[in-house]
Amino acid sequence: MEFFQHLSSGIVLGCIYTLFSLGLTLIYGILGLVNFAHGELYMLGAFLALFAVATIGMNYFFGMIFAVVMMAIIGIVIERLCFRPLRGMHDTSVIVSTIGLSVLLQNLAIYVFGADPQRLTTDLTEVMVRFFGLAFSLQRILIVVVTVMLILLLNYFSKNTKTGKAMRACSQDLTAAKVVGININRITLITCMVGSALAAIGGGLVAPLYLVSPVMGIKVVVKAFAVVIIGGLGNVPGAILGGFLVGISESIAAGMISSHMRDGVAFGILILVLLFKPEGIFTKRIQEKV
Amino acid sequence: MKTRSKLIYPVLLIAAVAVPFFVESDYVMHTLIMSAIYALLTMGLNIITGFAGQLSLGHAAFFGVGAYASALLTLKMGMNFFLAMSCAAGMAWVMGVMLGFPALKLRGPYLVICTIGFVQIMHEVFLNWISLTRGPMGIVGIDYPPTLTLGSWTIDFSIPLNYYFLVLVFAVITFVIILSLLNSKLGRALKAIREDEIAAECAGINLTYYKLIAFSLGAVFAGIAGSLYAHYIGYISPDSFVLLESINILVMLVLGGMGTMIGPVIGAAGVTFLLEYLRFLAEFKLIFYGLVLMVVMVVAPGGFWGFITRLGFAPPGSKDR
Repeated sequence: MEFFQHLSSGIVLGCIYTLFSLGLTLIYGILGLVNFAHGELYMLGAFLALFAVATIGMNYFFGMIFAVVMMAIIGIVIERLCFRPLRGMHDTSVIVSTIGLSVLLQNLAIYVFGADPQRLTTDLTEVMVRFFGLAFSLQRILIVVVTVMLILLLNYFSKNTKTGKAMRACSQDLTAAKVVGININRITLITCMVGSALAAIGGGLVAPLYLVSPVMGIKVVVKAFAVVIIGGLGNVPGAILGGFLVGISESIAAGMISSHMRDGVAFGILILVLLFKPEGIFTKRIQEKV
Repeated sequence: MKTRSKLIYPVLLIAAVAVPFFVESDYVMHTLIMSAIYALLTMGLNIITGFAGQLSLGHAAFFGVGAYASALLTLKMGMNFFLAMSCAAGMAWVMGVMLGFPALKLRGPYLVICTIGFVQIMHEVFLNWISLTRGPMGIVGIDYPPTLTLGSWTIDFSIPLNYYFLVLVFAVITFVIILSLLNSKLGRALKAIREDEIAAECAGINLTYYKLIAFSLGAVFAGIAGSLYAHYIGYISPDSFVLLESINILVMLVLGGMGTMIGPVIGAAGVTFLLEYLRFLAEFKLIFYGLVLMVVMVVAPGGFWGFITRLGFAPPGSKDR
């Protein structure tokens, strides 16, 4: 029974990692840049949800919508001001620049919201649901439901809409996509919007469970890198599976073996993957062309 | 143009020697010493990232290993400072090889994330190996290096001016070593690897060998810097050797100018002083710092030195090239 309890909390954790990593891997797949500031998008999402609920006095549902819309706008601004000028630049410049963005956003959050961790209280965390002897708060169930819905929605969007198809084309080959008449700037803008909104949803969903603080993003971003690499950079199904793999194994290792194991697990898996299948578990090996 | 850029080396050295004599406040002196220590670190990273082109965020781990090794050897085993420093450099070298091996296969973002993992692992080790490192409490009471007696001269390293010159001596030695390596077979091989790994391999350059050399050499200089840092500050804790420290070192390198000789030195001193003198901005300090990083990378990807001389190598593939 204890195992199933750990398994279920692992699934919740996996959902959070998945939401986070999806945006990261989308942005990498299409813009080709590793976004070190992604953790800050997640953190800002949580703070905006908190702000909407605690300060403006919206209910949690509208607070989430507020946070997501705001973060989608911020995603557009970031793409325009930071990512677009970096397109085609060397990795080092991109990484240092997004690190700069991360420092900027994090300290902006400290200035605006304060450095102290805060708690977002909603009705959902108090309600416990029991079945088969396992206890869940409603919030955890909400996280799973929202994540599954978003994954299905994203899948539908990328397979059946014109924009979604264009996004997949861009992630395969940016130049070829340009040749067939896809407006690249529009696609990168939408990608950043979606990635940033997904991070915000993750942040907003987590806010009632854990404390909201300006450093919450950094803690997750390093794990999310592990997730994204395990699944294969730029690989969307890989990010989903990797997210659940890391979330579940982390939770089980922490519960069944020792809580010190928690942070080590993701990196343990990461090292194994890098040693044996560095392109990610769920990606086909492609020979590099010269 | 080339000779003119070489003229700057003695000018820089004279400036580095002369500056402390015009400094009166201890605070500025402290910043100077820290700049020199960071210059050592940045020059080490420059071998890995600037010359060999292997972007690494693992430098804080080598720095930490050097600091802990040197502090523990002097405190627990009563070892002489200079001997302990050599051992610390040796341990950092081992760490460099350890990071170098998995890094051989990896490129670009994969390599960066691997090195981030390395820093995290070392941080956990410093934090959790309590019987040795005292964990989060850190190590206190690390002494200054013993007083050196040269004939009738006694050099007391607890005086900041003397400590500055101690660090400067190591920085100059490092500079000279790197400069001479750069013009040797090793330096040319590293640059070839940076420009195009596959082409370099085809030309008969042993990638494994040269990449390991780059990582271990960079690590050795970081180990020495760690030792100098530990004995200067007198207190080390795991919090000093985190990812943010690696980022700081990378920022110094990139802002100064990667793959140049002068860039790391200017970057280290510039960023150290910038961060101290931006204190008046209070909470805006780091916001401003982040903004500077973003803008500089877009406007001048070759860093300060690359921007000034245009001789500096901008990172391959950048617009600046």
